[in-house]
Amino acid sequence: MKTGFSVFLATFVALGASWCGFVLAPVLQLGGAKQTVILQTTDNWPLQRPGEATLGLQIYRANGCAACHTEQVRQTGVAFNLIVTSAGKNPDAVLKAISESEPNQSKYTEHVIGFPGVIFVGISKEQADATSDKITAAGGKVETDLTATGADIARGWGSRQCVAADYLYDQPVQLGSLRAGPDLSNIGVRAPDLNWQLRHLYAPKSVTPDSTMPSFKFLFEVRKIGDTPSPDALELPLEFAAADGYEIVPKPEAKQLAAYLLTLKANAPLYEAPFTPLTTAK
Amino acid sequence: MMSDENKSCSTPSSGEPTTTRSTAPMWIIVLTLVLLFVGGIYFDRHSGWFDAKVYAPYASAETLDAYQPQSGAAAVLAHGKKTYEAVCGICHGVDGLGKPGQAPPLAGSEWVNAKKFNRLAHIPLMGLAGSIQVAGKDWGLNMAAMGAALPDDDLAAVLTYIRNSWGNKAGEVIGDDIKKIRAQIGGNAQPMSADQLMKMPE
Repeated sequence: MKTGFSVFLATFVALGASWCGFVLAPVLQLGGAKQTVILQTTDNWPLQRPGEATLGLQIYRANGCAACHTEQVRQTGVAFNLIVTSAGKNPDAVLKAISESEPNQSKYTEHVIGFPGVIFVGISKEQADATSDKITAAGGKVETDLTATGADIARGWGSRQCVAADYLYDQPVQLGSLRAGPDLSNIGVRAPDLNWQLRHLYAPKSVTPDSTMPSFKFLFEVRKIGDTPSPDALELPLEFAAADGYEIVPKPEAKQLAAYLLTLKANAPLYEAPFTPLTTAK
Repeated sequence: MMSDENKSCSTPSSGEPTTTRSTAPMWIIVLTLVLLFVGGIYFDRHSGWFDAKVYAPYASAETLDAYQPQSGAAAVLAHGKKTYEAVCGICHGVDGLGKPGQAPPLAGSEWVNAKKFNRLAHIPLMGLAGSIQVAGKDWGLNMAAMGAALPDDDLAAVLTYIRNSWGNKAGEVIGDDIKKIRAQIGGNAQPMSADQLMKMPE
């Protein structure tokens, strides 16, 4: 076989190129990932999970939760909201500046009468910069809020896309690829109640009637109520509750899984995924 | 030609068929080059140059920088830059290097990099007449009171910007400082000379 060396070389190059693409490049890019800092604060992100939640990740993995749930919020764009916080000494000039500004003609405008008020919603960076310059020149004070856009954001699954930093302490990362259920990147923000999580694991339909999620009853123990009822016993609607004289108590696995779910929060503004977090009205 | 080749492979008389080298057709080469070109354009637009911090929809690190919420020092510098480029940059240059025959440089200028900014602030507020020594060169040019019409905060942002750009590393100027200096000047709107400036506190 006189072409043997050529075949070997071609195979080597093909496999080597894919190794470079799938192994070497990601390691060079993200292999040295470290904790990062939340925008405009000195707080670190992400924080190491407590021990129970770290064990919970393995329960999540063992029960194949990632088969139906993803942990990745996607984002397709960015948009700005413009808020006039103060009209200054000359509100008429500010009103004139607003009515003359470009986004006023677009379909995304939203007029609010009186200040402070949200003037424009969902405008581009160029429009936001130009308009805020005009209003500032007229003596008003303007704040621009940066928001993420996209189908996942519209579903309320997060305020920004997930980035590599969010998964720093996930071993292994449970990205998931199929969404039979909702994305769980921010389930700890949406459902921060431990008892809700446990009830949902035991009988999903008891908290969300339309749920198609299977019950994870084997993570719970149904036992006779002893001298003193367990403080952990689930409080369920009648149709899901145990028979009289029995109580439903979560096993350690259920508690660990719920603790893990409560730590799923990808909601801090980061350099790579900036947004303006909601703050209480001043 | 084609039929000859087929014949030579199929007829037993010519012996075992052998592999031969043949040139790749031109259209494959052209197609490959076109695909590489399109791929290069796509790569340029969407790769973010493999920056670990750059994710879609941000195209590059520069875009991502531009979208960072600005507050505090960064916002002041950004505002100062914008004002400087509109008001001062025409003569002093957007690179702060000045223009011969028009204006002295601000980058590396001892007037800009002074510990305090009292003399510096007087120049845009009152204007300058006569010769002035900047970075070892004599500039015999006049400057109008370009900053007199700017609001305190804007002028402060400009001064902060020129004191912290192009290698300059001096302190921050805030609006209240400008207000105080403006109050000292009062109605006296005569352009200063370099000698008069030197007599003032730094």
